[in-house]
Amino acid sequence: MGAVTLKDIRLNEYNFVNLPLLKQLRAGLLEKKPEVCIERARYFTKYLEKAPEEEPAELRYANAVNYFLSEKAPLFFDDNLLAGTTTSKTFGAPVYPEFATGLAIWPELDTISTRKKNPLILTKEEAEELNFDIYPYWMKRNVLEYTRKKHGNPKCMRIFERIVFFLATKAGCISHTVPCYRVALEKGVEYIIEDAASREAALKNEASLDDEKRRKVEFYQAIQKAMEGVIAYAQNLSKEAARLAEKEQDPTRKENFLKMAEVCSQVPAKQARTFREAVNSIWIVQVAIHAENINMAMSPGRLDQVLYKYYKEDIDKGALTVKEAMELVGCLWLKLNDNTNLVPETAEELWGGAGTVPAVTVGGVDENGEDAVNDLTYIMLRVTELLKTRDPSLNARYHYEKNSKEYRNRVAGVIVNTKAVPAFLNDVVNVEVLRNQGTDLKHARDYAVIGCVELGVPGRSYDASSAIMLNLVSVLELALNNGKRPVTGDEQIGPVTGDPSHFDSFEQFWGAFKSHFVWLAGKAIELNEYFGRVYQEILPSPLLSAFFEGPMEEGNDLIFGGAIYNSSGATHIGFADTVDSLNAIKQAVFIDKKYSFAEIKKALEANFEGYEKLHAYLVNKTPKYGRDEPIAKENSQKLIRFIYDFYQRHVNYRGGKYRPGYWTMTNHAGQGKLSGALPNGRKARQVFASGITPVSQAAGDLTTSLKMIGGLESICIASGEALNLKYPSVPTEEDIETLGQAVQAYFVIGGLHVQFNIMSYDDLIKAKENPEDYPELLVRVSGYSAYFKDLNEAMKDEIITRTAYDIKTGEAVPFPEEYKTMLAFE
Amino acid sequence: MLKEIFESFDSEVTEEFLELLLNAMRISYVFNKDFRKNIEGFEGRYLFKSRDGNITVAAIFKNGKLNVKEKETGNTDMTVGFRNAKALREFIFSPKPDILGSILRQDVVVDGNFNYMFKFAYMAKHLQLMVTGKA
Repeated sequence: MGAVTLKDIRLNEYNFVNLPLLKQLRAGLLEKKPEVCIERARYFTKYLEKAPEEEPAELRYANAVNYFLSEKAPLFFDDNLLAGTTTSKTFGAPVYPEFATGLAIWPELDTISTRKKNPLILTKEEAEELNFDIYPYWMKRNVLEYTRKKHGNPKCMRIFERIVFFLATKAGCISHTVPCYRVALEKGVEYIIEDAASREAALKNEASLDDEKRRKVEFYQAIQKAMEGVIAYAQNLSKEAARLAEKEQDPTRKENFLKMAEVCSQVPAKQARTFREAVNSIWIVQVAIHAENINMAMSPGRLDQVLYKYYKEDIDKGALTVKEAMELVGCLWLKLNDNTNLVPETAEELWGGAGTVPAVTVGGVDENGEDAVNDLTYIMLRVTELLKTRDPSLNARYHYEKNSKEYRNRVAGVIVNTKAVPAFLNDVVNVEVLRNQGTDLKHARDYAVIGCVELGVPGRSYDASSAIMLNLVSVLELALNNGKRPVTGDEQIGPVTGDPSHFDSFEQFWGAFKSHFVWLAGKAIELNEYFGRVYQEILPSPLLSAFFEGPMEEGNDLIFGGAIYNSSGATHIGFADTVDSLNAIKQAVFIDKKYSFAEIKKALEANFEGYEKLHAYLVNKTPKYGRDEPIAKENSQKLIRFIYDFYQRHVNYRGGKYRPGYWTMTNHAGQGKLSGALPNGRKARQVFASGITPVSQAAGDLTTSLKMIGGLESICIASGEALNLKYPSVPTEEDIETLGQAVQAYFVIGGLHVQFNIMSYDDLIKAKENPEDYPELLVRVSGYSAYFKDLNEAMKDEIITRTAYDIKTGEAVPFPEEYKTMLAFE
Repeated sequence: MLKEIFESFDSEVTEEFLELLLNAMRISYVFNKDFRKNIEGFEGRYLFKSRDGNITVAAIFKNGKLNVKEKETGNTDMTVGFRNAKALREFIFSPKPDILGSILRQDVVVDGNFNYMFKFAYMAKHLQLMVTGKA
């Protein structure tokens, strides 16, 4: 049950004047230049080079984690109240050589520090260490190459490596999950070790050990080893803090070091006794999880729920003030920004700007379905409002029957003041979606966001929610071109489904589209399964497993299906452009019979040059997703249902179903730049619409648009959707309430998620033209936040051209005439 | 001489680009101890083939040496098919190694272990920077 005791839920009396530490730390963060950190790669390589190859994978990996955490430098870079750093740099991009991205910067070792897009500082000495000592060991050992060798460079892998069809993200990571810190907080990591040891002993006492039991023994041993590493790191932090305290002259800093020394001697080894210990325990566990798992969407989850008990106890005892709690939460938020991704330059140009997307979820209902909003929810909202940092990606759950209007409007107010965060999630429908996937009601009510918008049950579901990112437009183009795509030339990629010029009905084209989808998504699943089994062989996750329910009880690592719930996520890029193209084909070729398929194909090949009349017809006279048009409604619903039915028939290597989603990160911009002209009138190499959002400028009335999107069958969107909306401004309290009401209305219809940018076309155009004047401009991309300046040009254009709606009328604001060439169909 | 070769890559790219590059690398492995360190203990077999079939070159790294052969070779770790010499140059190093971009543009089709390509591109770029005094 929620407990709100704050007199002012806005906490307006707290600001950077009376929270100078947060102001100072934030300023430091924004000044930091990212650096490549090779510390983990160094220790992992050192350990594994010497470790016997025949050592069981669980133990081998756990030992490497232990070795790294024991050797990891205990560093204190600033006056943050929390001890622990993800990397050895103030703002580090760690190298994970076991994944594809780790070695992809090899060609750039001499130039990465000076590259144009998002440079990463790398010293000459560390570049040489990577080149000579680290990378050679991994040349045949990373997950991508191990899979290639094992399966003989299968076609699914070669299709993936063309990049324009689907991305199979397991080549680079699994992550994308929400662990649970409760055991670490309430009992401590030492308890986890004892638990694993007693289970190991019980098994060993049995008369004989078959292979399965032996595997369990190894798993329990691995958990102990990994957890010992976590404790070693915390002890090293404690010792170093004590040493620094001794020589520190500044009394405030000295006191902070002493406090951190005390905190780290207690947590996470033992239970947390105070709010400060609890927050620092979570942070150290988060650092430790990244010692094993790549820093991509490893999400802390419902921190206002997990930490509330410690907050309340301290507040009731008089041991903590609201201001102190805000400082600690702020310090955690800033710590979550201490690392970034390692990305090669071309990938930055196509997909750049994403952070590591650790998602924090607040609000909503508790396991009993009651209002879970508490004082800490509002503290986290206020801290987010003040700091305006890229991470954590904050998500506000909202149950329109249980949560108060005041809460709803407060979230809306934070969105307006930050111009971007948090995102809103619909508790009513999201719980139904999870229930439909077989999740227990209480567990479903405890959901949290993974990374962008995907739903996970903290510490209970292992969802690998971004396993597949499939380009729906590539399916459309394969269907249009009998199994070929303009971007891949004359090569027969997909099955031969016939030249659409000879199709007699729209249903025939829809049949071809479905055939190509089944083929392509089948390839993506095939590859994901190969990767999953390779992870089982060489990259288990004993440390992460310890923070889930199920693995300990079953003696089974997460990667083998140890969690209570398992699934794999497949998200889809270009949904609105695909729907609108289907609409256009149906209307133009088969209803109006205005143009033949052959004419449309010729126009597409010419990028509509010389076909201006046809182009104008396609743009202006064919149905658009987001408008109240039956064909658009029918095609969008048909597509969503078809995709859902397809994935749900497939079970992954962990025994869970595949779940489809519609969120695109920056891929709709990158993939758009690689695609030809489309039947909806979008021109070649223009961006696609993001997430589940209608094509920019296609839907002129917000209410109509929300009705259509909210009316999609929500249970079919099991891995989340990202709806991006934009208001030029929300100037008054009344307008903030209007925003809140719009969200509520959308949720009542059935929408799952919505996020906003509160910016005008002009604001964003100016920010693109003068990036130096907007260094801190935060925007929502498609499920996460980014600094506008860090995004690639295509992504900036996509955000600029997104339809902006007037908050008072709900009507689209006209796009500036002089910039109309930026629009995808101009 | 090496400097001139690498500087010429910036202005014009002829069909001899690959041959020149591999020979420059081969010579550098012999005479430059620091550069040779890159291939100590390294074994790798590369095959470069132009799409029109005019160029077929195998580069074999073994025993701290680079051997270049103008014919196909088996058991390759990485096969690189390229549209033309300019596309190959873009792919490998100039003005930046653009492996991903070249694949996306369909200028280059690779088959094999990508990490071998990453290593080769690093060595080529590093040599370019070394001989032009930018390393």
